[in-house]
Amino acid sequence: MRQAETPNRARPRLLIHPGRFNPVRINSLGAPTARHVRLSLAPGCTLYEAIVKPLAGIGIRNASLTILGGAFDVLSYCVAPPDPSGQAVIAYTAPIDAGTAYMVFGNATLGRSLKGEPLVHCHATLRTAAGELRGGHILTEDCVIGPQPISALVTSLEGFNLQQAYDPETNIPLLQPRKEQADD
Amino acid sequence: MTDRTIVESGSMGRVAYARIAPNEDLVHAVEKLCLAEGFRNAFVRGALGSLVDACLETAGGGVRQVQGPAVEIVSLAGEVRAQPDGSLRASLSGVVADTEGKVYGGPFVAGANPICMTFEVTLEEWLPAQMDTATAA
Repeated sequence: MRQAETPNRARPRLLIHPGRFNPVRINSLGAPTARHVRLSLAPGCTLYEAIVKPLAGIGIRNASLTILGGAFDVLSYCVAPPDPSGQAVIAYTAPIDAGTAYMVFGNATLGRSLKGEPLVHCHATLRTAAGELRGGHILTEDCVIGPQPISALVTSLEGFNLQQAYDPETNIPLLQPRKEQADD
Repeated sequence: MTDRTIVESGSMGRVAYARIAPNEDLVHAVEKLCLAEGFRNAFVRGALGSLVDACLETAGGGVRQVQGPAVEIVSLAGEVRAQPDGSLRASLSGVVADTEGKVYGGPFVAGANPICMTFEVTLEEWLPAQMDTATAA
């Protein structure tokens, strides 16, 4: 059992990360307005392609997405238990194949990877082929959209970038908002 | 506060994206993000990340704790509303997954959901129509 119902909640615990504590705890950037797009995730494409390609075509490189429910031919995810190596406090598991599964609801962030390529970070609730509800970090390049298009609401972020960058505190690369540079 | 308004007209205003760092509380951090950006009311437009442990309110007024780390936030919806005393209150509801992928859902208890690695959130400012006049902060 990984859950417990208690009348009085336990004191929240803090974790000690491997790197130096960064005094900036909320790193935010804003824009005067957001641009919205309704995106149909195309059948047969990977989730990654279905997000990245059409948005690149209309000039959207940074966005938050709400993915509405839909069927996948392949849905693959992982979870994040403690890292046995101690390099970070957690590490992703090997891929877990949910099979021909249904995504109940998901959120995704589109940004840029360390290499400057499109990066999609996605978490979702899903129903496996066996009918069990599960959730985790979605492996977007391995997931294949099922026979029907899946709707997504895209909130485009303009005037700044979401850039994956090494985070010394947690010792892993993370998406961070960054003001546009002249060479972006 | 007894809010009898059923339909609140308004429009979307500014947008903000934040990366929130480890050990910050999920609910309070969303409220602080609004303080940082000057939003009085907002809707969550996208959110994902992880928690050390999750703490969700139950029907009986108790709480359900889901042990991590990490507990992944796999679905989240919510809003921030200005309170009559001028403070801000975030109401966030969602689904989390434990280290085996099992899911639990409910409202996130303020002060009891420390972020594990990162929390990415996009907020869109909500501008109620009546706030365009005298009550605008």
